Amino acid sequence: MISSNIFLLILIPLTTAFLIPLLDLLHIKYRKILVGIAGILEFTVSFSIIFTNFEFLKKGTLFLTYNLGGWSPPFGINLVLDSLGLFFSTLVSVALLLITVYSIGFIGHHEGKYYVLLFLAFAAMQGVILTGDIFNLYVFIELLTLTSAPLVAFKRNRNSTEASIKYMFYGIIGGLCFFIGVILIYFSLGTLNMAEISSHFTELNTRMQLIIITFFLLSMLIKLGIFPFHFWLPKAHSACPSSISTLLSGLLLKIYIYIFIRIFWIVLDYNVIQEIGLADFIVYLSLTSCLLGHIFALQADDIKRMLAFSTIGHISMIVAALALNTEAGFYGGLLHVISHFLMKSALFTGTGYLLQYTPSHNIKDLKGVGYKNKNIFISFVTASLGMIGIPPVIGFISKWYILLAFLEVNNHIGATIVILGSLTAVVYYFRFITAGYERTEVGTSKKERHVLSVFYREKIVTMIVYIFTFMAVITGVSFKLFDLPLKAVIDVITNPAYYINYVLGG
Amino acid sequence: MRKFIVMFLLVFLGIFLYFNLSYLPAEKMISNNVSQHYINSGVKETGSFNLVTAILFDYRAFDSLGESTIIFAAVSGIVLILSRKTLPVSSHGLTFIVKRTLGLLTPFIFLFSIYLMTHGHLSPGGGFQGGVILATISIIFCIVYGSEFDQKKFSPQTKTKLETGGALLFILMGILGVIFENGFLDNLNLFNGEPGSLISAGNIPVINLGIGLKVGAGLAIIFYSMIQKTFGEETDH
Amino acid sequence: MIYNIVFVILFILGLYTVLVKKSMIKMVIGLNIMESAIFFWVISLSNTGNLIPILQTYMEEKAVNDPVPQALILTGIVIGASTTAFLLTLIIELKKLGGSINLDHIKGLSE
Repeated sequence: MISSNIFLLILIPLTTAFLIPLLDLLHIKYRKILVGIAGILEFTVSFSIIFTNFEFLKKGTLFLTYNLGGWSPPFGINLVLDSLGLFFSTLVSVALLLITVYSIGFIGHHEGKYYVLLFLAFAAMQGVILTGDIFNLYVFIELLTLTSAPLVAFKRNRNSTEASIKYMFYGIIGGLCFFIGVILIYFSLGTLNMAEISSHFTELNTRMQLIIITFFLLSMLIKLGIFPFHFWLPKAHSACPSSISTLLSGLLLKIYIYIFIRIFWIVLDYNVIQEIGLADFIVYLSLTSCLLGHIFALQADDIKRMLAFSTIGHISMIVAALALNTEAGFYGGLLHVISHFLMKSALFTGTGYLLQYTPSHNIKDLKGVGYKNKNIFISFVTASLGMIGIPPVIGFISKWYILLAFLEVNNHIGATIVILGSLTAVVYYFRFITAGYERTEVGTSKKERHVLSVFYREKIVTMIVYIFTFMAVITGVSFKLFDLPLKAVIDVITNPAYYINYVLGG
Repeated sequence: MRKFIVMFLLVFLGIFLYFNLSYLPAEKMISNNVSQHYINSGVKETGSFNLVTAILFDYRAFDSLGESTIIFAAVSGIVLILSRKTLPVSSHGLTFIVKRTLGLLTPFIFLFSIYLMTHGHLSPGGGFQGGVILATISIIFCIVYGSEFDQKKFSPQTKTKLETGGALLFILMGILGVIFENGFLDNLNLFNGEPGSLISAGNIPVINLGIGLKVGAGLAIIFYSMIQKTFGEETDH
Repeated sequence: MIYNIVFVILFILGLYTVLVKKSMIKMVIGLNIMESAIFFWVISLSNTGNLIPILQTYMEEKAVNDPVPQALILTGIVIGASTTAFLLTLIIELKKLGGSINLDHIKGLSE
């Protein structure tokens, strides 16, 4: 079905990012207004797409396409929105509104090109989700790397700059492997459109299939931060301001999970991967990475480094659950995508607020910070309880489903590692929570970070923390709501033939 | 020690890679594939003789939008990191002979870049190539005449205006495609000449111009930011 | 076939530079060598010995080279140049802040 609205999802953040430097020449205060309007507009477009297509969503046959430039699919680029894309696209739209409002409070409007880069990153994310052409996907992945790296180096001190250099090096090498994969696909098949590649991929020589799969797998492992290639993640996620940590840890890695699903299930054929035995390799590598992530979090004294290692653990767990290729695995993995996004965002936004009272990020300086603002610290504790897996926060539900998925295929190692991860999470989260509640004399911090000293900015920041925590708890209570969308998404993933038929046949 | 292990592993990787690359099939699997279609009916459908430009700016114009956005993001990132409130300038140029020679050459360089930008659909060239040469004019001003001269001629505000102007021009052509034709970035019937003449090929020349401005201004901003940073520590010259 | 050998040699040289050299600027040069090797390989694959894909000078049907990889390479070159520019900016900033751009002095896991 041709829809005329889905390119607006990419166009709104892009135009906003281009208009901001012009508006700066007038007056800097207009920037806040423009940015707020753009966030609300994008949110309404996204929800209008859901509401106008609600019957299709219920039946599970939602499929919108849009041909850019008027050329039909293999000769031009097309945008495709199916249930899988809608799932992640709604996540991005919600995050856009919340992170933008948080940034207005946290960073204000004095900081140069922050909003330009933020909106370009959001446009790139929507572009990655909506595109139906594999070279276009590569361009948007590089755009994502290039817009998130300056944001990592935003504070302009030595730590941030080193973190950003490492992040860029790993990002560029991952992008190069992806590019080689795209070129191999073009020279062996002759087309760049995802639906056409999908319909002809199995006709290739098995050796060629294996080479292409290896290059894409290497690129995805580097970008997702799985064990041997995770060295960029802890430093990059801890050296940036908290709103960017929320963006990177909460949202960006989920976009790469979308790319992982899209490439390995719909464009290439996952059955090939399973026959060779590469699927088992991915599962065990991710489980190792999960265990190592949780173990390294135990020895982290810096609160943001601890949260970054926890991210490595959870993302590897999602990849392991997805790589099982069973319906329960998909259900648990995708539910954990939502729950990890909500909980990690609550944690990082709360940390951003709490860190204004401490001279450094170290645990020694966090003593007694829980009494500065009791409600925010309670939100922090609630979100960390969810990460450990305690009901009624949604983290319990999603971990339970992942555990069931591992037990269903009799993968006892996986089940053990999930439980071990939760147990270590208890230890490292409670270290910080007890430090927060220690009744010591916190000396007046000599740091001049009066970021949130203005009254309305403090209100905005605390409101966003409460919103994230509230959503984490509410979705935990009413998780059956997600049953319908998740079943639709699993239907799309396991039947790539529908995708091919809708794009090429119709 | 580490060097030798890495060298050893990499030699193995190289032999492995070479051996696997020979499995690439000689012919593409899909017979009536994309490039055959572009070669056969590219000129009829787009009106541009240069097939590479036709692919870049008409069939796959969305890729070029993403690519020019990458330059825009790189420029924004560089300005974010390197900008300082007070910009010390240096009026140190090169010697008299160089100044005179380049004074004579610069208009021709400018002409060449405009030629590349506007003739993108007739000969090898296009927006990106023309834009890069346009940026060298600002770089020549900085090196040969000193950055104070360059700041007087093209202030950073002018360069920012040019850059965002080029970007918004591209998006404007896309939106005009929605209004007049039927889709984003559709080919308008703007310049409807014979294929082969200068005024032809729909909205490809306009997009070329927009991208040329954007790339040129962007690279000039990058160069200017980098040298300001370096000159910052030398107090006076 | 000779083109494949050249590509592999250049790519491995670039990868060696990135993995072994200690100065960050040499790593950036190594990245550029890797990217140039890939672009060279793509052009060599698309060169089937026919004429260039600009049809102005020959209106009859003559065999032309494949224009699509050339468009892909243009995009790739621009992306490579932008990322190199940004990496060099970060290195300038690190040097200015008093850090060291030599990996021997950076503690912890290097590269």
